Amino acid sequence: MLDLLVRYRKYSVLGLVVVAAVALLTAQQTRQGDGLWLAEGIATITAPVQGAFARVHRGAASLWAGYLDWKHLRTEVARLRAETVALRLRQLRQEALEAENQRLRTLATLRERLPERTLGAEVVARDWNGFTRGLTIDRGRADGAERLSAVIVTSGVVGRVAVLRRQSAIVQVLTDPASSIGGVVLRTHAQGLVEGVAGGRLRIKLAVSEEALQPGDLVVTSGIGELFPKGLPLGRVLRVYSATGLFRTAELEPAVDLTSIEEVLVLPRGTSGDLAPAFPES
Amino acid sequence: MRLPLYVLAVSGGALVQCTVVPVVGVGGIVPDVPVVLTVLLALRYGAEAGCLTGFALGLAQDAVAGGPLGLHALSKALLGFVAGDLPRWVLVTRPIVPVGLAVLATIVDGLARFALLQLFHYPAPLGEIFTRVIMPQAGYNGILAAAALAWPVGRLLSRG
Repeated sequence: MLDLLVRYRKYSVLGLVVVAAVALLTAQQTRQGDGLWLAEGIATITAPVQGAFARVHRGAASLWAGYLDWKHLRTEVARLRAETVALRLRQLRQEALEAENQRLRTLATLRERLPERTLGAEVVARDWNGFTRGLTIDRGRADGAERLSAVIVTSGVVGRVAVLRRQSAIVQVLTDPASSIGGVVLRTHAQGLVEGVAGGRLRIKLAVSEEALQPGDLVVTSGIGELFPKGLPLGRVLRVYSATGLFRTAELEPAVDLTSIEEVLVLPRGTSGDLAPAFPES
Repeated sequence: MRLPLYVLAVSGGALVQCTVVPVVGVGGIVPDVPVVLTVLLALRYGAEAGCLTGFALGLAQDAVAGGPLGLHALSKALLGFVAGDLPRWVLVTRPIVPVGLAVLATIVDGLARFALLQLFHYPAPLGEIFTRVIMPQAGYNGILAAAALAWPVGRLLSRG
Protein backbone atom coordinates (compact mmCIF):
# COMPACT_ATOMS: atom_id res chain seq x y z
CA MET A 1 0.00 0.00 0.00
CA LEU A 2 2.81 2.38 1.00
CA ASP A 3 4.68 1.43 -2.15
CA LEU A 4 1.61 2.30 -4.14
CA LEU A 5 1.35 5.70 -2.44
CA VAL A 6 5.02 6.46 -3.08
CA ARG A 7 4.76 5.28 -6.68
CA TYR A 8 1.82 7.57 -7.35
CA ARG A 9 3.01 10.28 -4.97
CA LYS A 10 1.62 13.10 -7.02
CA TYR A 11 -1.88 11.66 -7.00
CA SER A 12 -1.53 10.63 -3.37
CA VAL A 13 -0.75 14.24 -2.37
CA LEU A 14 -3.69 15.46 -4.40
CA GLY A 15 -5.95 12.91 -2.81
CA LEU A 16 -4.82 13.77 0.71
CA VAL A 17 -5.24 17.45 0.15
CA VAL A 18 -8.67 17.05 -1.40
CA VAL A 19 -9.79 14.75 1.41
CA ALA A 20 -8.50 17.19 4.04
CA ALA A 21 -10.25 20.14 2.41
CA VAL A 22 -13.51 18.25 1.90
CA ALA A 23 -13.35 16.97 5.47
CA LEU A 24 -12.97 20.54 6.75
CA LEU A 25 -15.83 21.73 4.61
CA THR A 26 -18.06 18.83 5.56
CA ALA A 27 -17.29 19.27 9.25
CA GLN A 28 -18.32 22.90 9.08
CA GLN A 29 -21.39 22.04 7.07
CA THR A 30 -22.62 19.44 9.53
CA ARG A 31 -21.36 20.79 12.89
CA GLN A 32 -21.09 24.55 13.17
CA GLY A 33 -17.85 25.71 14.86
CA ASP A 34 -15.67 22.69 14.04
CA GLY A 35 -12.38 23.51 12.38
CA LEU A 36 -12.38 27.07 13.69
CA TRP A 37 -9.40 26.38 15.97
CA LEU A 38 -7.20 26.18 12.87
CA ALA A 39 -8.54 29.41 11.51
CA GLU A 40 -7.98 31.06 14.86
CA GLY A 41 -4.39 29.81 14.95
CA ILE A 42 -3.60 31.31 11.57
CA ALA A 43 -5.46 34.51 12.38
CA THR A 44 -3.40 34.89 15.60
CA ILE A 45 -0.31 35.24 13.44
CA THR A 46 -1.78 37.39 10.73
CA ALA A 47 -3.98 39.71 12.83
CA PRO A 48 -1.17 41.88 14.30
CA VAL A 49 0.41 42.27 10.86
CA GLN A 50 -2.97 43.14 9.40
CA GLY A 51 -3.46 45.71 12.17
CA ALA A 52 -0.07 47.29 11.48
CA PHE A 53 -0.80 47.51 7.76
CA ALA A 54 -4.23 48.93 8.44
CA ARG A 55 -2.70 51.62 10.67
CA VAL A 56 -0.13 52.48 8.00
CA HIS A 57 -2.90 52.56 5.42
CA ARG A 58 -5.07 54.77 7.59
CA GLY A 59 -2.13 57.10 8.19
CA ALA A 60 -1.32 57.29 4.50
CA ALA A 61 -4.99 57.82 3.62
CA SER A 62 -5.29 60.55 6.23
CA LEU A 63 -2.12 62.21 4.94
CA TRP A 64 -3.44 62.04 1.39
CA ALA A 65 -6.82 63.41 2.44
CA GLY A 66 -5.04 66.24 4.26
CA TYR A 67 -2.98 67.00 1.18
CA LEU A 68 -6.09 66.99 -1.01
CA ASP A 69 -7.87 69.30 1.46
CA TRP A 70 -4.90 71.66 1.47
CA LYS A 71 -4.72 71.61 -2.33
CA HIS A 72 -8.48 72.18 -2.57
CA LEU A 73 -8.20 75.02 -0.05
CA ARG A 74 -5.42 76.67 -2.04
CA THR A 75 -7.46 76.44 -5.22
CA GLU A 76 -10.48 77.80 -3.38
CA VAL A 77 -8.47 80.71 -1.92
CA ALA A 78 -7.06 81.55 -5.39
CA ARG A 79 -10.57 81.37 -6.89
CA LEU A 80 -12.02 83.60 -4.16
CA ARG A 81 -9.18 86.10 -4.58
CA ALA A 82 -9.77 86.27 -8.32
CA GLU A 83 -13.50 86.65 -7.67
CA THR A 84 -12.85 89.46 -5.16
CA VAL A 85 -10.64 91.29 -7.67
CA ALA A 86 -13.26 90.85 -10.40
CA LEU A 87 -16.00 92.12 -8.08
CA ARG A 88 -13.87 95.09 -7.00
CA LEU A 89 -13.21 95.95 -10.64
CA ARG A 90 -16.89 95.67 -11.42
CA GLN A 91 -17.70 97.89 -8.44
CA LEU A 92 -15.12 100.47 -9.56
CA ARG A 93 -16.55 100.43 -13.08
CA GLN A 94 -20.02 100.83 -11.62
CA GLU A 95 -18.90 103.75 -9.46
CA ALA A 96 -17.16 105.39 -12.43
CA LEU A 97 -20.31 104.97 -14.51
CA GLU A 98 -22.46 106.42 -11.76
CA ALA A 99 -20.10 109.41 -11.38
CA GLU A 100 -20.11 109.94 -15.15
CA ASN A 101 -23.87 109.69 -15.20
CA GLN A 102 -24.11 112.26 -12.43
CA ARG A 103 -21.72 114.64 -14.21
CA LEU A 104 -23.53 114.31 -17.50
CA ARG A 105 -26.88 114.86 -15.82
CA THR A 106 -25.74 118.09 -14.17
CA LEU A 107 -24.13 119.19 -17.44
CA ALA A 108 -27.38 118.47 -19.26
CA THR A 109 -29.25 120.54 -16.66
CA LEU A 110 -26.86 123.44 -17.24
CA ARG A 111 -27.25 123.05 -20.98
CA GLU A 112 -31.01 123.40 -20.63
CA ARG A 113 -30.60 126.54 -18.57
CA LEU A 114 -28.33 128.25 -21.10
CA PRO A 115 -29.98 130.39 -23.79
CA GLU A 116 -27.57 129.37 -26.56
CA ARG A 117 -27.01 125.96 -28.13
CA THR A 118 -23.85 124.54 -26.57
CA LEU A 119 -21.50 121.82 -27.70
CA GLY A 120 -20.80 118.97 -25.28
CA ALA A 121 -17.24 117.66 -25.29
CA GLU A 122 -15.16 115.14 -23.44
CA VAL A 123 -11.74 115.89 -21.99
CA VAL A 124 -9.33 113.45 -23.62
CA ALA A 125 -5.97 114.80 -22.44
CA ARG A 126 -4.40 117.26 -20.01
CA ASP A 127 -1.28 119.33 -20.39
CA TRP A 128 -0.35 120.15 -16.82
CA ASN A 129 3.37 120.98 -17.12
CA GLY A 130 3.34 124.21 -15.09
CA PHE A 131 4.38 126.54 -17.89
CA THR A 132 1.15 126.06 -19.74
CA ARG A 133 -2.08 124.53 -18.60
CA GLY A 134 -4.44 123.13 -21.15
CA LEU A 135 -7.01 120.48 -21.81
CA THR A 136 -7.63 118.63 -25.04
CA ILE A 137 -11.30 118.06 -25.87
CA ASP A 138 -12.72 115.69 -28.46
CA ARG A 139 -14.60 118.36 -30.42
CA GLY A 140 -13.08 120.45 -33.17
CA ARG A 141 -13.76 122.46 -36.25
CA ALA A 142 -15.77 119.64 -37.80
CA ASP A 143 -18.14 119.67 -34.81
CA GLY A 144 -18.76 123.39 -35.01
CA ALA A 145 -16.36 124.51 -32.29
CA GLU A 146 -14.78 127.93 -32.75
CA ARG A 147 -11.49 129.41 -31.64
CA LEU A 148 -11.69 131.53 -28.46
CA SER A 149 -15.06 130.02 -27.54
CA ALA A 150 -15.74 129.89 -23.80
CA VAL A 151 -15.56 126.45 -22.20
CA ILE A 152 -17.61 125.92 -19.06
CA VAL A 153 -18.92 123.29 -16.68
CA THR A 154 -21.76 123.42 -14.16
CA SER A 155 -19.63 125.19 -11.55
CA GLY A 156 -18.13 127.85 -13.80
CA VAL A 157 -15.52 128.75 -16.38
CA VAL A 158 -12.89 126.26 -17.47
CA GLY A 159 -11.14 128.40 -20.06
CA ARG A 160 -11.27 129.15 -23.75
CA VAL A 161 -10.52 127.28 -26.96
CA ALA A 162 -6.95 128.28 -27.80
CA VAL A 163 -6.09 125.87 -30.60
CA LEU A 164 -8.71 124.53 -32.95
CA ARG A 165 -8.17 121.37 -34.97
CA ARG A 166 -10.46 119.39 -37.20
CA GLN A 167 -11.63 116.88 -34.61
CA SER A 168 -10.21 118.23 -31.38
CA ALA A 169 -9.37 121.44 -29.62
CA ILE A 170 -6.98 122.62 -26.94
CA VAL A 171 -8.54 124.65 -24.17
CA GLN A 172 -6.41 127.17 -22.34
CA VAL A 173 -7.60 126.87 -18.76
CA LEU A 174 -8.11 129.77 -16.36
CA THR A 175 -5.01 128.99 -14.33
CA ASP A 176 -2.68 129.07 -17.34
CA PRO A 177 -0.13 131.86 -16.68
CA ALA A 178 -0.98 133.38 -20.08
CA SER A 179 -4.72 133.49 -19.36
CA SER A 180 -6.47 136.71 -18.42
CA ILE A 181 -10.23 137.30 -18.28
CA GLY A 182 -12.22 140.29 -17.29
CA GLY A 183 -13.94 139.64 -13.96
CA VAL A 184 -16.30 141.36 -11.59
CA VAL A 185 -16.81 140.93 -7.85
CA LEU A 186 -20.45 139.98 -7.63
CA ARG A 187 -21.03 141.60 -4.22
CA THR A 188 -19.51 145.04 -5.03
CA HIS A 189 -19.50 145.02 -8.84
CA ALA A 190 -15.83 146.04 -8.73
CA GLN A 191 -14.16 145.10 -11.96
CA GLY A 192 -10.70 143.63 -12.43
CA LEU A 193 -8.55 141.26 -14.38
CA VAL A 194 -8.45 137.56 -13.47
CA GLU A 195 -5.10 135.99 -14.35
CA GLY A 196 -3.56 132.57 -14.13
CA VAL A 197 -0.50 132.22 -11.94
CA ALA A 198 2.33 129.73 -12.41
CA GLY A 199 1.70 126.76 -10.13
CA GLY A 200 -1.99 126.46 -10.96
CA ARG A 201 -3.33 129.32 -8.94
CA LEU A 202 -5.60 132.27 -9.90
CA ARG A 203 -5.55 135.93 -8.92
CA ILE A 204 -7.55 139.07 -9.52
CA LYS A 205 -6.04 142.51 -9.94
CA LEU A 206 -8.23 145.50 -9.51
CA ALA A 207 -8.04 149.15 -8.66
CA VAL A 208 -10.41 149.36 -5.72
CA SER A 209 -10.45 150.05 -1.98
CA GLU A 210 -9.97 147.29 0.60
CA GLU A 211 -13.68 147.14 1.42
CA ALA A 212 -14.53 146.26 -2.14
CA LEU A 213 -12.78 142.90 -1.89
CA GLN A 214 -13.19 140.35 0.94
CA PRO A 215 -12.41 136.69 1.31
CA GLY A 216 -15.35 134.61 0.13
CA ASP A 217 -16.46 137.05 -2.51
CA LEU A 218 -17.54 135.45 -5.75
CA VAL A 219 -15.89 136.71 -8.91
CA VAL A 220 -17.71 136.20 -12.21
CA THR A 221 -16.97 137.13 -15.78
CA SER A 222 -17.63 140.78 -16.56
CA GLY A 223 -18.73 140.27 -20.18
CA ILE A 224 -16.32 142.93 -21.38
CA GLY A 225 -14.38 141.94 -24.47
CA GLU A 226 -17.10 139.64 -25.83
CA LEU A 227 -15.04 136.49 -25.41
CA PHE A 228 -16.91 135.40 -22.28
CA PRO A 229 -20.54 136.22 -21.63
CA LYS A 230 -21.38 137.93 -18.39
CA GLY A 231 -22.06 136.11 -15.12
CA LEU A 232 -19.97 132.94 -15.46
CA PRO A 233 -18.38 132.00 -12.09
CA LEU A 234 -14.57 132.32 -12.07
CA GLY A 235 -13.66 131.80 -8.43
CA ARG A 236 -13.90 132.92 -4.84
CA VAL A 237 -11.55 135.26 -3.04
CA LEU A 238 -9.22 133.33 -0.73
CA ARG A 239 -7.04 136.14 0.61
CA VAL A 240 -6.58 139.80 -0.20
CA TYR A 241 -3.04 141.18 -0.49
CA SER A 242 -1.92 144.69 0.48
CA ALA A 243 -2.31 147.31 -2.19
CA THR A 244 0.74 148.03 -4.32
CA GLY A 245 0.36 151.37 -6.00
CA LEU A 246 -3.06 151.71 -7.54
CA PHE A 247 -3.80 148.03 -7.69
CA ARG A 248 -5.03 145.56 -5.13
CA THR A 249 -4.47 141.88 -5.68
CA ALA A 250 -6.34 138.88 -4.28
CA GLU A 251 -5.83 135.16 -4.62
CA LEU A 252 -8.82 133.27 -5.95
CA GLU A 253 -9.88 129.68 -5.58
CA PRO A 254 -11.08 128.61 -9.04
CA ALA A 255 -14.80 127.89 -9.17
CA VAL A 256 -14.02 124.74 -11.16
CA ASP A 257 -11.84 121.89 -9.94
CA LEU A 258 -9.76 121.82 -13.09
CA THR A 259 -7.92 118.62 -12.17
CA SER A 260 -10.99 116.41 -12.23
CA ILE A 261 -13.26 117.61 -15.01
CA GLU A 262 -14.21 115.00 -17.60
CA GLU A 263 -16.90 116.67 -19.68
CA VAL A 264 -17.32 120.31 -20.67
CA LEU A 265 -19.65 122.53 -22.64
CA VAL A 266 -18.35 124.78 -25.39
CA LEU A 267 -20.33 128.02 -25.77
CA PRO A 268 -20.70 129.46 -29.26
CA ARG A 269 -18.74 132.61 -30.01
CA GLY A 270 -20.70 135.76 -29.47
CA THR A 271 -22.91 134.42 -26.67
CA SER A 272 -24.14 137.44 -24.84
CA GLY A 273 -26.38 138.33 -21.96
CA ASP A 274 -26.08 137.63 -18.24
CA LEU A 275 -25.68 133.91 -17.63
CA ALA A 276 -25.54 134.15 -13.84
CA PRO A 277 -29.07 132.66 -13.44
CA ALA A 278 -27.80 129.48 -15.09
CA PHE A 279 -25.46 128.96 -12.08
CA PRO A 280 -27.81 129.11 -9.10
CA GLU A 281 -25.41 127.04 -6.89
CA SER A 282 -22.76 129.75 -7.15
CA MET B 1 12.20 22.31 -4.61
CA ARG B 2 13.96 24.41 -2.03
CA LEU B 3 11.96 24.29 1.19
CA PRO B 4 12.87 27.81 2.45
CA LEU B 5 11.67 29.32 -0.82
CA TYR B 6 8.47 27.27 -0.59
CA VAL B 7 7.81 28.40 3.00
CA LEU B 8 8.65 31.99 2.11
CA ALA B 9 6.34 31.96 -0.90
CA VAL B 10 3.43 30.49 1.05
CA SER B 11 3.74 32.64 4.17
CA GLY B 12 4.60 35.77 2.21
CA GLY B 13 1.79 35.23 -0.27
CA ALA B 14 -0.73 34.70 2.52
CA LEU B 15 0.43 37.78 4.38
CA VAL B 16 0.40 39.93 1.29
CA GLN B 17 -3.08 38.73 0.40
CA CYS B 18 -4.50 39.58 3.80
CA THR B 19 -2.64 42.82 4.40
CA VAL B 20 -1.49 44.68 1.30
CA VAL B 21 -3.98 43.46 -1.28
CA PRO B 22 -7.12 44.87 0.36
CA VAL B 23 -5.48 48.29 0.16
CA VAL B 24 -4.67 48.15 -3.54
CA GLY B 25 -8.19 47.28 -4.69
CA VAL B 26 -9.57 49.06 -7.74
CA GLY B 27 -13.32 49.60 -7.79
CA GLY B 28 -13.77 47.04 -5.03
CA ILE B 29 -11.88 44.36 -6.95
CA VAL B 30 -8.68 42.97 -5.44
CA PRO B 31 -6.16 40.62 -7.06
CA ASP B 32 -5.89 37.02 -5.85
CA VAL B 33 -2.17 36.77 -5.12
CA PRO B 34 -2.31 33.08 -3.98
CA VAL B 35 -3.67 32.10 -7.42
CA VAL B 36 -0.76 33.79 -9.19
CA LEU B 37 1.76 32.31 -6.77
CA THR B 38 0.27 28.84 -7.04
CA VAL B 39 0.34 28.95 -10.83
CA LEU B 40 3.91 30.24 -11.02
CA LEU B 41 5.21 27.74 -8.47
CA ALA B 42 3.26 24.88 -10.00
CA LEU B 43 4.59 25.60 -13.49
CA ARG B 44 8.15 25.60 -12.16
CA TYR B 45 8.06 22.83 -9.54
CA GLY B 46 5.36 20.53 -10.75
CA ALA B 47 1.95 19.24 -9.76
CA GLU B 48 2.85 18.01 -6.29
CA ALA B 49 4.41 21.32 -5.18
CA GLY B 50 1.63 23.25 -6.87
CA CYS B 51 -1.01 21.20 -5.10
CA LEU B 52 0.58 21.66 -1.65
CA THR B 53 1.26 25.35 -2.24
CA GLY B 54 -2.30 25.96 -3.36
CA PHE B 55 -3.66 24.07 -0.36
CA ALA B 56 -1.48 25.97 2.13
CA LEU B 57 -2.15 29.38 0.60
CA GLY B 58 -5.88 28.64 0.27
CA LEU B 59 -6.11 27.51 3.87
CA ALA B 60 -4.46 30.72 5.05
CA GLN B 61 -6.87 32.70 2.90
CA ASP B 62 -9.82 30.82 4.35
CA ALA B 63 -8.61 31.48 7.87
CA VAL B 64 -8.17 35.17 7.29
CA ALA B 65 -11.27 35.67 5.17
CA GLY B 66 -13.50 34.03 7.77
CA GLY B 67 -15.40 31.96 5.20
CA PRO B 68 -15.78 28.19 5.12
CA LEU B 69 -12.40 26.70 6.03
CA GLY B 70 -11.18 24.52 3.12
CA LEU B 71 -12.96 26.40 0.35
CA HIS B 72 -9.95 28.24 -1.07
CA ALA B 73 -7.74 25.37 0.04
CA LEU B 74 -9.58 22.87 -2.14
CA SER B 75 -9.96 25.04 -5.23
CA LYS B 76 -6.34 26.20 -5.16
CA ALA B 77 -5.01 22.73 -4.45
CA LEU B 78 -6.77 21.45 -7.58
CA LEU B 79 -5.56 24.48 -9.50
CA GLY B 80 -1.97 23.95 -8.42
CA PHE B 81 -2.13 20.29 -9.39
CA VAL B 82 -3.50 20.98 -12.89
CA ALA B 83 -1.11 23.88 -13.50
CA GLY B 84 1.82 21.77 -12.34
CA ASP B 85 0.90 18.98 -14.74
CA LEU B 86 0.59 21.31 -17.75
CA PRO B 87 4.28 21.43 -18.77
CA ARG B 88 3.91 17.81 -19.87
CA TRP B 89 1.60 18.97 -22.67
CA VAL B 90 2.21 22.71 -23.15
CA LEU B 91 5.39 24.69 -23.78
CA VAL B 92 5.42 27.02 -20.79
CA THR B 93 8.70 28.85 -21.39
CA ARG B 94 7.02 31.70 -23.29
CA PRO B 95 5.96 34.48 -20.85
CA ILE B 96 2.47 34.66 -22.33
CA VAL B 97 1.70 31.16 -21.03
CA PRO B 98 2.03 31.87 -17.26
CA VAL B 99 0.19 35.16 -17.69
CA GLY B 100 -2.64 33.57 -19.67
CA LEU B 101 -2.72 30.70 -17.25
CA ALA B 102 -3.01 33.08 -14.28
CA VAL B 103 -6.08 34.61 -15.95
CA LEU B 104 -7.59 31.22 -16.76
CA ALA B 105 -6.75 29.87 -13.32
CA THR B 106 -8.52 32.77 -11.65
CA ILE B 107 -11.65 32.07 -13.67
CA VAL B 108 -11.53 28.34 -12.89
CA ASP B 109 -10.79 29.02 -9.21
CA GLY B 110 -13.70 31.45 -9.01
CA LEU B 111 -16.10 29.02 -10.67
CA ALA B 112 -14.89 26.14 -8.46
CA ARG B 113 -15.40 28.19 -5.33
CA PHE B 114 -18.84 29.25 -6.49
CA ALA B 115 -19.74 25.60 -7.06
CA LEU B 116 -18.44 24.62 -3.61
CA LEU B 117 -20.26 27.53 -1.98
CA GLN B 118 -23.54 26.09 -3.21
CA LEU B 119 -23.11 23.57 -0.39
CA PHE B 120 -23.44 26.51 1.95
CA HIS B 121 -26.44 27.97 0.13
CA TYR B 122 -24.51 30.92 -1.26
CA PRO B 123 -27.18 33.42 -2.38
CA ALA B 124 -25.58 35.52 -5.18
CA PRO B 125 -26.31 34.51 -8.81
CA LEU B 126 -23.45 33.17 -10.94
CA GLY B 127 -23.83 35.80 -13.69
CA GLU B 128 -23.35 38.63 -11.25
CA ILE B 129 -20.38 36.99 -9.55
CA PHE B 130 -18.80 36.11 -12.90
CA THR B 131 -19.04 39.58 -14.45
CA ARG B 132 -18.45 41.70 -11.38
CA VAL B 133 -15.89 39.64 -9.46
CA ILE B 134 -14.32 36.76 -11.33
CA MET B 135 -13.60 38.46 -14.66
CA PRO B 136 -12.19 41.73 -13.25
CA GLN B 137 -10.12 39.72 -10.79
CA ALA B 138 -8.83 37.55 -13.65
CA GLY B 139 -7.69 40.68 -15.50
CA TYR B 140 -6.07 42.06 -12.38
CA ASN B 141 -4.27 38.75 -11.80
CA GLY B 142 -3.02 38.69 -15.41
CA ILE B 143 -1.42 42.11 -14.87
CA LEU B 144 -0.02 40.95 -11.55
CA ALA B 145 1.47 37.80 -13.11
CA ALA B 146 3.09 39.83 -15.90
CA ALA B 147 4.52 42.23 -13.32
CA ALA B 148 5.76 39.36 -11.15
CA LEU B 149 7.51 37.75 -14.12
CA ALA B 150 9.16 41.05 -14.98
CA TRP B 151 10.44 41.50 -11.46
CA PRO B 152 13.31 39.59 -9.83
CA VAL B 153 10.90 37.76 -7.50
CA GLY B 154 9.01 36.33 -10.43
CA ARG B 155 12.18 35.32 -12.18
CA LEU B 156 13.40 33.67 -8.98
CA LEU B 157 10.15 31.75 -8.63
CA SER B 158 10.16 30.59 -12.22
CA ARG B 159 13.86 29.69 -12.12
CA GLY B 160 13.88 28.08 -8.65
